[in-house]
Amino acid sequence: MTSRIPAGMRYYIGSEARLRRTVEDVAMSVFESWNYEEVITPSVDYYDLFEQGMGQREATRGFRFTDNDGRLLALRPDVTSSVARMAATLLAERPRPLRFCYAAPVFRQQTQSHAEWRRENTQLGCELIGVAGKPADLEVLRLAAEILSRLNLQTSYCITINNVEIFNGVAAQLNLEPPAREQLRLLIDTRQGAELRQFLQNHTSSEARAFLRPTELTGKRDVIRAAREVIRNSRSVAAMDSLEELWTAIESLGLEDSFEIDLGDVSSLDYYTGLSLKIFVRGAGSSVGRGGRYDGLTGNFGRAEPAVGFVLNLDALTEVLGRTGFANQ
Amino acid sequence: MITIAIAKGRMQESALVLLARAGIRLSDEAINSRRLALMDETGQYRFIFTKPADVPVYVEHGIADCGVVGRDVLLESQADLLLPLDLGIARCRIVVAAADAQALSKVPGMIRVATKYAQIANAHFGARGIPVEIIQLSGSVELAPALGLADLIVDLVETGRTLRENGLTVVEEIAESTGRLVVNRASYQLKAGEVGRLVQALESTLNGNQ
Repeated sequence: MTSRIPAGMRYYIGSEARLRRTVEDVAMSVFESWNYEEVITPSVDYYDLFEQGMGQREATRGFRFTDNDGRLLALRPDVTSSVARMAATLLAERPRPLRFCYAAPVFRQQTQSHAEWRRENTQLGCELIGVAGKPADLEVLRLAAEILSRLNLQTSYCITINNVEIFNGVAAQLNLEPPAREQLRLLIDTRQGAELRQFLQNHTSSEARAFLRPTELTGKRDVIRAAREVIRNSRSVAAMDSLEELWTAIESLGLEDSFEIDLGDVSSLDYYTGLSLKIFVRGAGSSVGRGGRYDGLTGNFGRAEPAVGFVLNLDALTEVLGRTGFANQ
Repeated sequence: MITIAIAKGRMQESALVLLARAGIRLSDEAINSRRLALMDETGQYRFIFTKPADVPVYVEHGIADCGVVGRDVLLESQADLLLPLDLGIARCRIVVAAADAQALSKVPGMIRVATKYAQIANAHFGARGIPVEIIQLSGSVELAPALGLADLIVDLVETGRTLRENGLTVVEEIAESTGRLVVNRASYQLKAGEVGRLVQALESTLNGNQ
């Protein structure tokens, strides 16, 4: 026997475990009140599934091993891939929309950053499948906001929203080879204004100038207004229209103080197809949740249809709430 | 209040000068004390002083919201941070150096590289398919070729004097390094106003100099 625990794994004992369960219960009861059905997906699945569902770069971070017949298996690094396959195959005949939620651990052998210490994280997530457009996008944003308020975080959370098609339209105009496009994406994602200016010197069409000033990429409606001055291509304009419409809806719900538009959020472009969102909470050094629209995903499993969803990281939330004292309420 | 981590040593002095020009000042009394965490005169900024390699660690974990650190450290740490400003301070180069200027063109089966920058060296030679054995040192890297520990070194060069005095010449330049302002991803959103003000104050100070 060894007394050692593998890197990135941990115990929850007593009050911490109780707090963690409370947080999970709050999230699941909110999902349920919005008519999201709970789904439990296999913990182990074919590696192919995750490669199709998450893209190769993300899927390779998972724990992998082989089945009896030599096929590659993985300990699930996400739940969405499996739900998308289920919707396209098992539930192909069921009337739309489908609403699913889950609380399930996911596993990543390679962590993405030094601050992301855990290799097992429980995702509290939901998927809304079969509806396109603003009402569905707004529904999942409201769900996320409601869960965070129910956790007494209403004054300390911030949800950033973006539409990845704004960047995609600009990048398409520049007509870049994939490595150059990736470099452009990285420079915007990490807000390297000076390097971006240098990068754009070689390009005549430069709607990408809109991304030059790092502090002006995030904010409220003004951010879109400023971007419109520079970005004119129809693909990006359509995306800005729908982002602004979504913003108007957020304002009419009185939630604008908790939301920000972040045109620089271009971190998962190969995955999301429209709305992308990230969830931050005071006291956590990195995002505690993310999501967006992934209309391309279910097509990988034979039935293309619109879908949107998000996940919250239960372990990260428990850590913050453990420090700020939700347990005592 | 936001917390700014500053790399001790070379970077520290020029970072404090630049911050003072942007209106963020530490009292002389504070600077001369041996405390590692200090408040500025207005109480809006807390400074912490750490070893350069620890700056990205504090910022990535969100313990510090921002940091000032060299690009060499960032390339080596691979930290997931926002890099809004090149401060242009503590300028230097990351280079490959050897006793023999032709060292690289001789194409041996394996090159031994002594360095403090294992990641950078690996990425640099790896991209060109040159097999290397990385010998990780923590200082006085210039000694390694003379004593036969390594064929080449990858190191930071400011004036080149240390290299020359140890019989080494620059074979190639990998990257230029200057002090960068780095920002934690969550702080960038949750403290957008304060971080934005800091970035803008520094940016206009830098632009005023051009």
